[in-house]
Amino acid sequence: MIPPLPVQGPQIKWFFFLSAFVLSQKSYAIQGNFERDVAPLIVLRCLECHNFVDPSGGLDLSSYPSMIRGGESGSPISSESDESLLLQRVLAAEMPPEKNGKSQTLTNEEQLVLKEWIQSGAPWPEGRVLDPYERTTAKRAGRDWWAWQPIAAADTTSPNTTSNAIDLLVRDSLHAHQLTAAPAADRRTLLRRLSFDLLGLPPTAEEIAAFEQDSSPNAYEKVVDQFLASKHFGERWARHWLDLARFAETNGYERDEVKPYAWRYRDWVIDAINSDMPYDQFVTEQLAGDEIPNRSESSVIATGFLRLGTWDDEPNDPNEYQYDRLEDLVHSTTTAFLAMTVKCARCHDHKFDAIPQTDYYRVASSFWGGPVAQRNRDWNGGPSKEELGFDVLGWTDLTNTPPDLRLLAKGDVHRPLQVVAPGTLTGAPAIARAFDNPSADSKTSTRRLQLARWIVDKQNPLAARVIVNRLWQHHFGEGLVRTPDNFGFLGSPPTHPELLDLLASQLMAGEWRLKRIHKMIVMSQTYRQSSIHPSASKYSEIDASNRFWWRAERRRLDAEQLRDSLLLCSGRLDRSMGGPSFMAPINDEALEGLSKKGDAYKASPAEQSRRRSVYMFSKRSLAVPMMAVFDSCDTTAPTGRRDVSTVAPQALTLLNNEWVHGESYAMAARAIAAGSDRVQRVSAAWRIVLSREPTDREKDASIEFVSRWQSTSNSGAVNSDADQELLAIAALCHTLINTNEFIYLD
Amino acid sequence: MNKQLFPCGQTRRQALWQMGGGFAGLALTSLLEQDGFFAKHAAAAESTNPLSPKPTHFPCKAKSCIFLMMNGGPSHVDTWDYKPELQKHAGKSMPADKKFINSGGRAVGLLSPAVRPFKPGGECGTMVSDFFPRIREHADSLAVIRSCYTDTHAHGSASVQMNTGKPIIGRPSLGSWVAYGLGSENQNLPGYVVMLDKRGGPIGGQPNWSSGFAPASYQGTLFRPQGNPILDLTSPSSISRTQQREQLDLLAKFNQEHLEARPGGTELASRAASYELAFRMQAETPDAVDLSGETASTLTAYGLNDANTAEFGRNCLIARRLVERGVRFIQLYSGGGHLEETWDAHESVEKNHGRHAGETDQPIAALLTDLKQRGLLDSTLIVWGGEFGRMPFTEGVDKPGRNHNPYGFSMWLAGGGVKGGVTYGETDELGFAAETNKVHVHDLHATILHLMGLDHTRLTYFHQGRDERLTDVYGNVVRDILI
Repeated sequence: MIPPLPVQGPQIKWFFFLSAFVLSQKSYAIQGNFERDVAPLIVLRCLECHNFVDPSGGLDLSSYPSMIRGGESGSPISSESDESLLLQRVLAAEMPPEKNGKSQTLTNEEQLVLKEWIQSGAPWPEGRVLDPYERTTAKRAGRDWWAWQPIAAADTTSPNTTSNAIDLLVRDSLHAHQLTAAPAADRRTLLRRLSFDLLGLPPTAEEIAAFEQDSSPNAYEKVVDQFLASKHFGERWARHWLDLARFAETNGYERDEVKPYAWRYRDWVIDAINSDMPYDQFVTEQLAGDEIPNRSESSVIATGFLRLGTWDDEPNDPNEYQYDRLEDLVHSTTTAFLAMTVKCARCHDHKFDAIPQTDYYRVASSFWGGPVAQRNRDWNGGPSKEELGFDVLGWTDLTNTPPDLRLLAKGDVHRPLQVVAPGTLTGAPAIARAFDNPSADSKTSTRRLQLARWIVDKQNPLAARVIVNRLWQHHFGEGLVRTPDNFGFLGSPPTHPELLDLLASQLMAGEWRLKRIHKMIVMSQTYRQSSIHPSASKYSEIDASNRFWWRAERRRLDAEQLRDSLLLCSGRLDRSMGGPSFMAPINDEALEGLSKKGDAYKASPAEQSRRRSVYMFSKRSLAVPMMAVFDSCDTTAPTGRRDVSTVAPQALTLLNNEWVHGESYAMAARAIAAGSDRVQRVSAAWRIVLSREPTDREKDASIEFVSRWQSTSNSGAVNSDADQELLAIAALCHTLINTNEFIYLD
Repeated sequence: MNKQLFPCGQTRRQALWQMGGGFAGLALTSLLEQDGFFAKHAAAAESTNPLSPKPTHFPCKAKSCIFLMMNGGPSHVDTWDYKPELQKHAGKSMPADKKFINSGGRAVGLLSPAVRPFKPGGECGTMVSDFFPRIREHADSLAVIRSCYTDTHAHGSASVQMNTGKPIIGRPSLGSWVAYGLGSENQNLPGYVVMLDKRGGPIGGQPNWSSGFAPASYQGTLFRPQGNPILDLTSPSSISRTQQREQLDLLAKFNQEHLEARPGGTELASRAASYELAFRMQAETPDAVDLSGETASTLTAYGLNDANTAEFGRNCLIARRLVERGVRFIQLYSGGGHLEETWDAHESVEKNHGRHAGETDQPIAALLTDLKQRGLLDSTLIVWGGEFGRMPFTEGVDKPGRNHNPYGFSMWLAGGGVKGGVTYGETDELGFAAETNKVHVHDLHATILHLMGLDHTRLTYFHQGRDERLTDVYGNVVRDILI
C-alpha cells in the first residue's frame, strides 16, 4: 500500500486560498485516482522512453518537478488543459509512437483518465517518484513478482516424510482438478527410468532381474543409494550443468582455437557432483574461485565457467567487443544461477521484469576488472598463467580497482552515461546491496565474490528455487517452473509453488547438499508412478500437458544417453573417467564444412572413442552430426532445456550410420556368444538391447527375420555361415535399437 | 540512424513451441497424412509441424531463394562498382581523411584502378567488369547494390554476419529464418540446403548455416553434389533395399505393439512414421542430384564439360533442380578454405578473381538463362555477394592484391520480384566506403525477407525473454529495387 501523500499541482497552488475546503475534498479523490489510474498509465505507456535515465526528447515523466520542467518541446502540462502538449500529442495519436509497425495509441479509457487528470491540474502527490517496477501489471512484472518473494519456510518437523511431503502437495493439486495419480510403475520400468535418470545408462537384464526379485522393503531405496553413490551419477548430471555453462572446448570464430584445459572444468563439475559439493560452494567457486579465502588450483579451475564462452580474437571494434564479452558473462551467470534474463537490460530497462538498466551494469561491473579487453592472443581472452597463478583455464581480475563502468544509452558504446556503482540486482530490495571496495592489499576487486555470496545468500529467493527446479525438470522431463531459464514475467509461473519452496528450503536446511534433494524426489510416489494412466484420454482433456503430474512423462533419450546406451549394449563402453576429451569419429562428408581440411579435426583412434559422451570433444565450428541430430544443444549461450525434435534425419542416422552398424555387429557377437542355437541367440539379442526377454510373438518374428536375412544375404560379401549369422543377428540388434522401446523411457 | 525499436516479447507464441515439445512430437504426422499414414492425427498435427508450408505475411513473387555466396570477399571496384575516378588517382596514397581498420596489419599500397575493363551490359547499360562477361549479358535482370557495408573486417565474423545478421555466432542463419517463416514445400527434401565448395567450408564453419537458438529442424543441411547428397543416406553396401524394407516392416511391427500398450502416444506414432519418411528420402534425395535426365546442351550450358566450371556448374544445376522440387532456400559457396582458395585476393586480384570468376561466370549466367526459360526466375530470388568487399588500394608494389573492406561493397539480386537493369547506391569516388543510399547487411536481409513475403519486423522467435529477429532492431527494405 502506498501511504497517502500531500498533493501538489499548479491549479491547487493558484486557487488554494480561494477554495481551500473544496479542494481538499477534491484533492483527496484525485490522489486516489492518481495511484489507481494515472500512475499505472504513465508507468506503462510513457516511462519506457520518458524516464530519468535517458529521457526521450529530454522529457522525464517520473516525477512532478521533472514533468513540469519539460523537454525539448517545452512543458507538457499547461494551465489550460487544451493547450497541454502532452494531451495534444496523445490525442493526435503521435504518442506513444508506433512500435514494430503497430500502433500504440491509448485506449479511450486511458485518454479519458489523462484528460480528466490534466483538466484537474495534473495533481501529483508530493515527492512521489514513479518507479516502473513498483508493482506487477497486466503487461509486466514488478518487485512483487513471485520469484522475488522470500521462500516460504517449510515445515521441517517431520524430515523423514519429505518424499511424502512431495506426494501430499502433488496430490492436493491433483484432487483440486479431479485427477488421481497413475498406479506405480512396474519394477523394470522403474529401474530403467532411475538408471537412465541418475546414471545416463540403461540397467542390464541381470540388474533388472535382481531388482525384481529383491523382496526386501527397502529394495528400491538400496538401488537409489547405490546409484547416487555411483561415479556415473556425476557424469550424467555434469552434462546438464555443462549445457548451462555453454561448455565447448574451442573459441569459435576465425581460428576456432582450442581452449587449453577446458576439460579440467568438466572434470571439476563431475567431481563436485559426485562428492556432493554444497551448492553454495559450487556457485561461489565458479564465479569467484580465485577470490575465496581457501583458493586452490581446483577452485580456480572452477572459474573456467567464466572462460567457456565464445571468444573472437579479432573483433572489428575491440572496445565494443568488451561489452559483448560482459554480456556473455552477465547472461551466463544470471541465467544459470538466477533464471533471470538480465541481458535484456543491457540496452534499456527490462521490458517485463524488475531489472532496471542500471542493474545490468551493477552486475556487469563484477567482471569489469577481468581480462575483457583485447590482449595477447595467446592468452585466449583470459589472464596469463602468471596472473592466474595456475596453468589452467580460469579467471581473475587484473586489478583490485577496475575502471569506472558507465551505463550505455541504448547499449551504444559511443553514448556512455553515468558511472554505475557495482552491486547486485535490486528486484528484491530487502537483500539488494552495493559491493564494498576491497582491502588495499587485495589482488582483486572481490566483486565476483560478493556477487556469488549474494546469489547464495539464504535470503535470496532465486538460487535455491532455480536449482531445485532444474533437478525436478531432469527427473521428470519438465520443471515445476516450465521455463527453467526464465523465472520472469514471460516465463511460466510454478505449477506447484509450495512444492518448489519446500524443495528450496529443504536444500538450504540441508547445507545445500543436492543428493539429498535428488533422493527426496526419486523416492516420491510421484516419481515412481507409471507413464500409463487408465484414464489418460479423459485426463488429457483436463490437463493435456500433464502439469499436475497425474502420470510420469514419457521421454526420448537425449543424444548422450542414446550413444552411451549403444556402447553399453555392444559391450564396448569404456568407463574410464576424466582427462582430455576424445575426438569422435566423424564421416569425411561432415568434415567438408571445415575451412581447414585435414589438420583441423583428427578423430581419436576407435578404442579411445568409446568413452562416455560427456568426454566427447566439442568444437564450435563443427557439431558432431550424430549428437546434433539428436538435439545436443547450442554452445554459444546457456541452455537449461534442450529442444526435443523428431525428424527423419534421426531415423537416417540410426538406420545407416556406419558407427551405429559397427555397434550392432558387436552386440550380435555378444548375442552369439551367449547362446548355442538360434532361439537362444535371438533371446540374447533382446536381453542385450532391451534388457528383457522377448514375448513369444516377438521371438517368432525375430527368428523368422534372422533366418530370412541370412538366406537373402549377398553371399559375395561374406564367406562363412558364421559370418552370415553374425550379419543376420546384427540386423536384428540394429532393428531393436531403432525401436521406440529403445529410445523412449516410460 | 533508424528509429530504434525493441522487439521484446509481444507474444508467447514461440515459447509454446519450445515448451510443449509439441512440434517435436507431432512434427511428422501431417507429412505422412499425405500418404495416408496416421490420418487421424493429421489435423491436430498440421499446426505444429515445423516445416509445413506457412502463409507469407503478404503476397510476393519469390518462392525460393538461391544465395550465391562468394566466400572470401570479392573486390567490388574490380567487378560491379565502376570507378573511373580511381583511374585518375592511380598511384596516389589513400587520402588521410579516409579512416579504416587495416585488417591483419597488411602493407598499405597505393590506389589502383580496376584490373580489368568495365563494359555496359544489356539495354540498361549497367557497367560490369570483364571478369563477368556472361553474367553481364543478364544485366537487364540484375539490381546491383553498390553501397553495401558491414560491421567487421575479419572473414569469420563477417561471414557469420552475412549469414546470421550479427558478427557473433549463435544466431539462426538467413536460410533458417526463411525455413522457419515459410516452411518447406517438399517434405522429402530438406527445406534449407547448403552446398559448399569442395576446397572447404567457410571460415567459422557450421555457425554459418546453424539454426542458432531456434530448433535444429531449421538448420541448413549440407548437400553434396554427387553420390549421396546428405549424411547417412544409405546403408552399408551389404544391405539391400529389399532387406532394409524387411527390417522396416519388422520395426513397424514392434513399434505398433509398443504403441498399442501406450494409448495416446502420439510422439511414438510420429517417430515410427519418421522411418517411412526417411525411407522415401533415401529414394528422392539422390534423384535431386542425378543429372542423367538433363540434356547435353543443358550440361554444356552450365559448363559441366569444362574442368574449370564443372563443379560450380553442377551445383548451380542442382540448385535449379532443388528449386523445381520446392526447396525453399539454397546457398551455394564459391571458394572454400583459406586465402587464395577463396575470393580473398590478397596476392593478386587478377589472378585470384580470374580463377574464381572463371569458375562461376558461365554457370551463374546459365542458371539465370535456364530459370528464365523455365519460367522460374520470377519465383526464384537470386542473391550474389560475399561477406565484404576489398580496398581500392593494393597491398604493395609487387602485390596487386587488395585487403578486406567492410565499409563498402557490391551485391546483386535478380528474379523473384527484383527490378532488373538497375543499380542502387554509391560508394565514394574511390570506391572505398558506401556513401549514398547505404545498405547495411540488416537492410539486405530485410529486403530478402520482404521479397520472400516476410516482414522482418514480424518474423520473430521468442528466445530467453526476447522476441528475436534476423535484423535485431534494425533493417530497412530497399524498396527502390523492388518491382
